[in-house]
Amino acid sequence: MITQEPVQLKKERNLAITWGISFLILFPLLIFLGLLMRLGQGELIKLLLANFYAFMTLHGLGMAGLLFSISFAAVWYLISTRYTKLNLKVGYFIFFTIIIGFAGLTFGTLIGKFGAGWYMLYPLPFKDPTWFVWSIKISIISLTVLGIAWLTGILYLLYALLKEYKGFKNLLGWQFASEIGEHKDIPPIIFITSISLIAAIPGFIVGIAIMCMYLFQSFEPVLSFNAVLLNNMTFFFGHTLSTVTLYCSIAWVYALLPEFTMRVWKTNKALLYCWYASLFLMLISYAQHLFMNFIHPLSAYHAGLLAAYLSTVPPTVITILGVFEQLYHSKIKWGIIPLLFLLGTAGLAIGGFVALLNIYQAFNKILHNTLWVPAHFHSYTLMGIVLFVLGFLFYLFSPINYQQKDKLAKTGFWIFIAGGYGFILMFYLGGFNSIPRSFARYTGTGFKNMHATAVSLSQISVGFIIIIIIGLLLMYISLFFRLFKKKDQQHLTDNTVY
Amino acid sequence: MGQITALLALQNLAGLISLAGALAVVLVIIFLIATSSKSAGKPCKKHTILKIKPIYFWGIIFVLAVVIFLSIRYLSYPRLQDKADEVVTVVGIQWDWQMANGISDKSAHEFVGKNEILLPVNKKIKFIITSDDVTHSFSIYNNKGVLLTQTQAIPQYRNELFYIFSQKGDYTILCLEYCGLVHPFMSGIIHVE
Repeated sequence: MITQEPVQLKKERNLAITWGISFLILFPLLIFLGLLMRLGQGELIKLLLANFYAFMTLHGLGMAGLLFSISFAAVWYLISTRYTKLNLKVGYFIFFTIIIGFAGLTFGTLIGKFGAGWYMLYPLPFKDPTWFVWSIKISIISLTVLGIAWLTGILYLLYALLKEYKGFKNLLGWQFASEIGEHKDIPPIIFITSISLIAAIPGFIVGIAIMCMYLFQSFEPVLSFNAVLLNNMTFFFGHTLSTVTLYCSIAWVYALLPEFTMRVWKTNKALLYCWYASLFLMLISYAQHLFMNFIHPLSAYHAGLLAAYLSTVPPTVITILGVFEQLYHSKIKWGIIPLLFLLGTAGLAIGGFVALLNIYQAFNKILHNTLWVPAHFHSYTLMGIVLFVLGFLFYLFSPINYQQKDKLAKTGFWIFIAGGYGFILMFYLGGFNSIPRSFARYTGTGFKNMHATAVSLSQISVGFIIIIIIGLLLMYISLFFRLFKKKDQQHLTDNTVY
Repeated sequence: MGQITALLALQNLAGLISLAGALAVVLVIIFLIATSSKSAGKPCKKHTILKIKPIYFWGIIFVLAVVIFLSIRYLSYPRLQDKADEVVTVVGIQWDWQMANGISDKSAHEFVGKNEILLPVNKKIKFIITSDDVTHSFSIYNNKGVLLTQTQAIPQYRNELFYIFSQKGDYTILCLEYCGLVHPFMSGIIHVE
């Protein structure tokens, strides 16, 4: 634990608030794109196919990028104010580079109508004549810029931590196995962030490599790459990005929840081994996205299957039971922050549990690429990571001892929870009724009952999205009220026990 | 909304299991919130909870071992020893399905087939599936709109899918892998007699 000068603390907080406000602006804008898509599917507005798929692409890529960016920013803030000094110039460089990347992507999708979907499965970006050729180039360049910014941030953060903890041995907790080392007590947030970011490096290198290959082809159309190789690379990158985002958000729950339960949550051998297992399995379990492609060797299927199933054990044993241990008979006062963390863990548990179903082969072939898929990933993003992010932002924006007083925030929170689960339930019902995902319209399926069901579910979803927005709005009012509150401006990060 | 009901046992079962899992999570949340507020003044009981960790760990390992065994046993992956009664070549193109009986020796680009095909009931059919442009997903629905099986159509590769149509009637093929603007209108028909 380091002691920062108040001036330095304020600068670090300003950077984090800049990230936080950017998130709070972009998040509802991306939700709005989702609302337009559901309005179109519900036949409440007429949405051109080109617009639907441009919105779908920006919504997916934007949300994945936004959640990773804010998760990275949150661990950056907590580490820089507590454990090691980080260079603010590097922080702002990463922030502005990401903003440039987002702007380019927005231009490519909304103006250029680039609509290859969030994972842009090769060779689709180059094989649809309906979007402008320049929009492919600008979208790919923007994504490359984002990848470079994120990789720079990851490498810098790891470099700073390695310097502070004097090498990998301390940083990765090997002293627990060997019983020697200088930093005996490595905080969970440091260990989890470090190991997650190390696992993210191959993912981001692969992601940048994909973008480089796409860039070559966009400038030299006679080039062509192997579709199966690109499919593997794409899902490896996508799976790594989403899992690392989740793990970084869990890292700050390990750091912040104990401040409300007044219980310690220390790194120990069980935590260490579980997280090592998690990250190792994560690198293999991307294969679960390729079960419907029988070109791979059977051994690859078996490896993917085993990794996907086993990857559920470590997080549940160590994190979900860890949250249980923290809260059980803790005499906690249920302010907005622990509530967000608890319900975020619930979203994670539900999203993870239903993912198990899809790994089971008999279910995979009848659920894969139906609306079940957005149901699953919205469970752990909207009702998991987003709640963790909001928990962090309430923490960041709050003066001391403020978190227990706010009825407005709690009202907004419960409205958000009701709207969120209602919204996700419509996706689940769609999936269990075999309704395909990524369909701008359901008139071409040839099934009257499927069309009627899909339209009804979409229309009900619109209502739930409006409820989500109302809940968010109330939480936003509370957040900004906290941020601009004049009295008692001393912030929580001054290591005060509360 | 009458259609939002179970259509087939497998989808139904998946829905029920998901619901049971979600309810279990909700119960745990209620339990945690209720017990945390009741315990004021009582000694900390954190360590009693620690005792369930090994039980949970070995319990989940046992359940996963069973599920992994079943999953590998019923893997969708086509087995080499699978013999087909009839073979159909399928090529996905933006945004249509082309099908013809037999194994085609032509490239995906040269292949000529039809959007509809007639197949026999209760016979093991082998679909050899590829694509002429982007990745598609060859997905078979019955006449009630229930998804029965699927596999991907990938350019330059051939996927094999075995299926026995146990009932006569019309089956619809949809594409479930997003393949561009007209993706939701890409369909074909299999007549089974």
